[in-house]
Amino acid sequence: MSKVKMKRQGFVIDMTPLVDITFLLLTFFMFTAKFKSEAESEQKFKIIRPTSSADTTKLPEKDLAIIKIAIDTANQNDTSYYYEVVNEADRSAIWESVKELSPEQRLKRQLKCDSTLLEALIGRTRGTNPNTRFAIDADKRIRYKYVFTAMDALRRKRATQFNFVTNKPQ
Amino acid sequence: MAGGGEALGSGGGKPKRGQKNSKRKKKKRIGFKLDMTPLVDIAFLLLTFFMLTTTMTTPQTMKMQVPPEIDTPVDVKQSELFTILIRKDEKLFWKAGNDPAQPLQLGELQKLAKEKNLEQPNRLITLVAIDQSVAYGNVIGVLDKLNQAEVDITKEMKGEKRERKFTVSNLTDEQRKEIEGL
Repeated sequence: MSKVKMKRQGFVIDMTPLVDITFLLLTFFMFTAKFKSEAESEQKFKIIRPTSSADTTKLPEKDLAIIKIAIDTANQNDTSYYYEVVNEADRSAIWESVKELSPEQRLKRQLKCDSTLLEALIGRTRGTNPNTRFAIDADKRIRYKYVFTAMDALRRKRATQFNFVTNKPQ
Repeated sequence: MAGGGEALGSGGGKPKRGQKNSKRKKKKRIGFKLDMTPLVDIAFLLLTFFMLTTTMTTPQTMKMQVPPEIDTPVDVKQSELFTILIRKDEKLFWKAGNDPAQPLQLGELQKLAKEKNLEQPNRLITLVAIDQSVAYGNVIGVLDKLNQAEVDITKEMKGEKRERKFTVSNLTDEQRKEIEGL
């Protein structure tokens, strides 16, 4: 008599090595992850940074003010300045002290501004926190004159040392 | 699951409860099984999340210094001036002092800047004059070459203190005219 063939119900795989590897990768990505700042997730443009290889200093994480110069996606010919202060407390103090801002602009984490407002903001930043370092984060496709205007604003506010934000060459 | 086979072998009849328990050899449990599927599910979910949100390239910085605004112009010796000019079409030129401008390739810039600086260490002033409509990426390219030259120069000077004299400016009309036809 032949045995009654039992129908196999499901099967078991040893998932332990799989879990090992998965957790290894998981911890790796968790530790290396650096999240976008809130200001960055608000913005509608993408900055394609130029590359540089000589100076590889990392961007400081606090006491930093970033002047972003980007090509507006809506209007390709328009270039606008965005101003962001990384320190939360400094930012609200600066936003409060600049009179030209509207109440809703005060809520923004980064401000769209023209060159005069930019200069006022730089001045206020230096008054609020003199240790603030400045960085210009500009798109590599924009014309030099926009960067020059920003540099001139910094110069007039006596912030003669600043940084350009670049990327590592691939 | 495990007890199925033994129940048949323990003889006919219906054994009393207590007897059955005492006769049966206590099987030592070797290991145990844990259903890991939900664990793996969650682990993979988190893994994909972190993989997709991580950007590996962190931005780096390039230091820049501009001279402060001053009212009185400073006189500069022509012989100590090394100018790099960037034309509208992104072609490079260089001139030493009052000499006529000469075309320059980006690849030669590092070597040239090093040579010129070592001729007059700590005295030579490097000036980068840039046309307003040059793309910013090209400007950074030139500055990066000068920074690379700076590394070489500091190496060559062996411990001597290096003072960098360097500035950027707009291309003046005079300079523009000079390199226009070249």
